[in-house]
Amino acid sequence: MSRPEEAALTAAFRAEWPRLIAVALRITGDLQAAEDVAQETLFAAFDRWPLQGIPDRPGAWLMTVCRNRARNLVRDASRAQERLASLRPLLDGQTSPGTAPGTNAAGIADDQLRLIAMCCHPLLATDGQVALTLRMVAGLTTQEIARGFNLPAATVAQRIVRAKRMLTQHRIAFVTDDADIRARLASVLDVIYLIFNEGYLPAEGESLTRGDLAFEAGRLACLLTSLVPAEPDPWALRALLSFQLSRQAARTAPDGALLTLDAQDRSQWNQELIADGIRSLERARGGPRGPLLLQAELAACHATAPSFAATDWAAILALYDELLAIQDTPVVALNRAVAVAMTAGPAAALPALDELAGHPALASSHRVWAVRAELHRRAGHTAAALADYDRALDLVSNQAERHYLAQARRQAEEAPA
Amino acid sequence: MMRFLLAGTRPPGSGEPGELALAAAAHRVVAATAWHSWLRRWGLLLSFGLPRDPAAELRACLIVAVNDEQAADRLAAGWGAVSGYRVVVLPLTGGSSGETGR
Repeated sequence: MSRPEEAALTAAFRAEWPRLIAVALRITGDLQAAEDVAQETLFAAFDRWPLQGIPDRPGAWLMTVCRNRARNLVRDASRAQERLASLRPLLDGQTSPGTAPGTNAAGIADDQLRLIAMCCHPLLATDGQVALTLRMVAGLTTQEIARGFNLPAATVAQRIVRAKRMLTQHRIAFVTDDADIRARLASVLDVIYLIFNEGYLPAEGESLTRGDLAFEAGRLACLLTSLVPAEPDPWALRALLSFQLSRQAARTAPDGALLTLDAQDRSQWNQELIADGIRSLERARGGPRGPLLLQAELAACHATAPSFAATDWAAILALYDELLAIQDTPVVALNRAVAVAMTAGPAAALPALDELAGHPALASSHRVWAVRAELHRRAGHTAAALADYDRALDLVSNQAERHYLAQARRQAEEAPA
Repeated sequence: MMRFLLAGTRPPGSGEPGELALAAAAHRVVAATAWHSWLRRWGLLLSFGLPRDPAAELRACLIVAVNDEQAADRLAAGWGAVSGYRVVVLPLTGGSSGETGR
């Protein structure tokens, strides 16, 4: 077999992983047991497929082995304790062939959704939600998650253990009704967006991106849209992430330096992802114009502009006005100020930035200073620009951004007065 | 040619399923499939056995035909490398077809 076959097999494992966990969880009722069963299923595939041949339907094979293993586990445990029924109240429902939830495609999809909702349960700390989702739904190992977040593996392992313990202690039920799941959709979207942000623009570290994490978030968004296709918000998130991810390869120069939108080679933008973003955006437009949809619309403006000069800044400004009306945060205001500068010139945006520079929520962020420095530079206020670059450089912790700001400062300094 | 039984078990200390990276799992399946294909192509693999219980400590057995014990050891090392198993080599001293073993 060749590398494409290996990639196809990896994709199959990734697609099956949350289904295996979800089905095993439904049968065993225990997240740790479900994870162990899913792992054993993969090990079984690894033992058998090289000798018996890879099955025509690997997913079905894995599902059968996983379900049997989970049932055996429950049976063994119940035999040992001689109280089968009290181990898992739902067992009776499970053992009735043909009627058990999780045994058909729709049931498995529902189980996956319940799994995601469980991993993003509001009782869990955010870092626990993120780690658990990446482990249980995305199938990343503790090591892989740790690498993605630049954290020691022990820290991530601790978060996962703590989250599992919390779910057990509070007897968070896997089985919940649809209304509960829909109510939790917002926190699921938040977690996926958080994973994306961490991968797309990490606050710390040498490189500009942790691409794997960002793409995992994109994959999770795709999974979510397949599970709840009638809900508009997951489509909006998918559209937003697809547009953003389409630029991933163009955001850094070969030496790792940050390339802003105006400097990016648009021929490197991934057209497949842009097309996916457009299709997803169409689906999302069926819903209310919430923050996610507006952000996706904004991303679409950039992704579909043939050049930086041809960007429709007036449309972007109108979208930011709409967004600010429903999500009045300093970050949105900061981005709106950039749109103002692009439509009416830097001087028109500077008063808003002066106000934002004193906002406590942005006190530890370099971004407001970086933006104001850039606008001062463009307005010809060299001294003010240099002072703001210095503030931004004091605060920035990502090395790629630091290099970019240092270079921009040098250019401002060297520019003729 | 002599026959050997190669028994592959989970290495000591890996009784728990542990975490297997999905990309690594795919890579291992592909590498092991290629290795077994090679074994078949050269006519070295006579038969194999797999335990019914997927969680059993014994993962797989191969019956191979090679020139001597050193060759069997080399095969065992190769199988161990692609599978991660601890492989034990057992010379087969009898055969259903009446061939002479060691």
